[in-house]
Amino acid sequence: MENSSFLNFVIDHLSQFLQYTAFANMTVGHIVMILVGLVFIYLAIAKEFEPMLLIPIGFGILVGNIAFYPGLEIGIYESGSVLNYLYFGVLHGIYPPLIFLGIGAMTDFSALISNPKLILVGAAAQLGIFGAYAIALYLGFSPSEAGAIGIIGGADGPTAIFLSSKLAPELMGAIAISAYSYMALVPVIQPPFMRLLTTNKERLIRMKPPRTVSKKEKIIFPIAGLLLTCFLVPSGLPLLGMLFFGNLLKESTLTKRLADTAKGPMIDVVTILIGLTVGASTQATTFLTVKSLGIFVLGATSFAIATIGGVGFVKILNLFLKEGNKINPLIGNAGVSAVPHSARVSQVIGLQYDKTNHLLMHAMGPNVAGVIGSAVAAGVLLSFLY
Amino acid sequence: MLKNKLTVLNLIVLVFLCIGIRNTNAQSTVDLRLNEILVHNDSNYVDDFGKHSAWIEIFNSAHNSVNIGGLYLTDDIENPTKYLIPKGQPTTLIPPRSYIVLWADNEPDRGILHVNFILKESKTICLFESNGRTLLDSVTIKSPQTTDVTYGRLVDGGAQWGYLEKSTPNANNDTKPKISEADKFVIFDPSGIGMTLIAMLVVFTALAFLYLFFKGIGFVMTKDARMASKMKQAASPGLVQEGLSGEVNAAIVMVLYLYGDQIHDQEDPVITMTKVSRTYSPWSSKIYGLRKSPR
Repeated sequence: MENSSFLNFVIDHLSQFLQYTAFANMTVGHIVMILVGLVFIYLAIAKEFEPMLLIPIGFGILVGNIAFYPGLEIGIYESGSVLNYLYFGVLHGIYPPLIFLGIGAMTDFSALISNPKLILVGAAAQLGIFGAYAIALYLGFSPSEAGAIGIIGGADGPTAIFLSSKLAPELMGAIAISAYSYMALVPVIQPPFMRLLTTNKERLIRMKPPRTVSKKEKIIFPIAGLLLTCFLVPSGLPLLGMLFFGNLLKESTLTKRLADTAKGPMIDVVTILIGLTVGASTQATTFLTVKSLGIFVLGATSFAIATIGGVGFVKILNLFLKEGNKINPLIGNAGVSAVPHSARVSQVIGLQYDKTNHLLMHAMGPNVAGVIGSAVAAGVLLSFLY
Repeated sequence: MLKNKLTVLNLIVLVFLCIGIRNTNAQSTVDLRLNEILVHNDSNYVDDFGKHSAWIEIFNSAHNSVNIGGLYLTDDIENPTKYLIPKGQPTTLIPPRSYIVLWADNEPDRGILHVNFILKESKTICLFESNGRTLLDSVTIKSPQTTDVTYGRLVDGGAQWGYLEKSTPNANNDTKPKISEADKFVIFDPSGIGMTLIAMLVVFTALAFLYLFFKGIGFVMTKDARMASKMKQAASPGLVQEGLSGEVNAAIVMVLYLYGDQIHDQEDPVITMTKVSRTYSPWSSKIYGLRKSPR
């Protein structure tokens, strides 16, 4: 009698334990997401696609999709769980400005300062954001959701996370994954549009070498940049303020230690946290929806429109420029802020047509202008839609 | 010349900064507003003692929490310190864009939210700063007041007062259904073209400012460099200055890079041990070099 009751006790507790395992709570969605996470990790390690981002995000997807019994304060969406505390920085837009601080500390704006008209290319490429916004509205997304989706076209992960955390927090996982994935896929998405929109003659345009930029100009840049952009769009302050602050730390040369921390250990820590938690936020139960699929389609579209906007703008600008001052339209794609991937695409495509025409240095101008432009665009969307 | 221009630039930056600093004290007790009052309470909001008393609602219009502890509330402008709202109480902290209701029942023993006066028509209710002198906000109670109908700002923190359709203690005075900013925007711009045009205009304007500014700076910088070069040439007319070609520059940079790359603090991990052979000399002998310790 006693033996049988003990056996029952053991069986009951084992079955209770089984209810707590991931096997009992697993759904097809979880398995699909785990496979997506594994693909990310594979792409990062085997193909070296953005490993710094895709490994934390990919592993985060695995972490977020191990099914569990709800209410144990484990999941990223359960109040009081460790992951929920780490996710706080994403949800409240804390991590993206910190990443921008690091980006500012590691970015050299010399290419932009030496040829300021390239700043405008960075503005033109933001067309991708608003093009995707219009299409998202047409597809039935709410205005806030459309704004959050559109920002994918800015090709800036931290900005996308920052804006979606404000406008459509429920879509943030899909938007972040989409933004980072397409940033890694810039070499695949952009070249066809660059070739389609340019003539052979245009591709061979040689640009003047950039002039030397003095230290004074480099110091004035972050200060003037902050004042001139944020007075117009104060809602971009968290991102632009940190970007320019980081740059001033670098360019002043007197705060090397702070700049080194911002661009080194700090950005690494924040990248780990943001990557892992954004990945973990793609819990199948909240992530696998038709909307997520729509976001991925719109993300690719926005990158295409941004490329068309940048290249097209350079072609228009060239109509007004004298011979010798013309800009090679192959750097127009670099107006999206995927630094330095899109600039590298300009260089690679440029070399395919002229082995001695190095466009990298010129493309870095619109590329860093794109960082500023996408942050301004995020500020505009925030002020209209928040 | 350049120095003067930079001084002007610095001044511009300072002016910008001063304009920015002007409003830094915005989020404090100055953001508190008397927001809604009920003079005759018959069947309206009930206090913590189950009584229907007159009440005063204060609204924190700031985007940060503000503590009203230490401030004074009065119905007599000649006696600004009539009721001191006690300090150090968690209940007196008003969250951002939120409210607190105080009971005007002349029963201060019932708790810190019960003031020592009652509301009467035509009286002026004032909220004073903790120094008892600075008036933060005031309202004169219009006569007549209807039972259970509140008198308040038509919009929270707004300038216009009136009789409210619904009494809203601890809630927004404006009870009309609202649509979000985003929905409002999309009513006029369902296709997104308007947003595209406006937003692109803003982005272009922001970056055009930067473009113009740095075009100007670049012009100043290159002009000075050109002038310096001209002056140098004028001083020594026979000297022909030749710029270095790109290839030479690249070679110099490469050499510097390689040189810099070799200056590192992490040495080769392979250690090779070789015997150092030295010719014997009494001057280098360890024995002769050692001192004997004194006895």
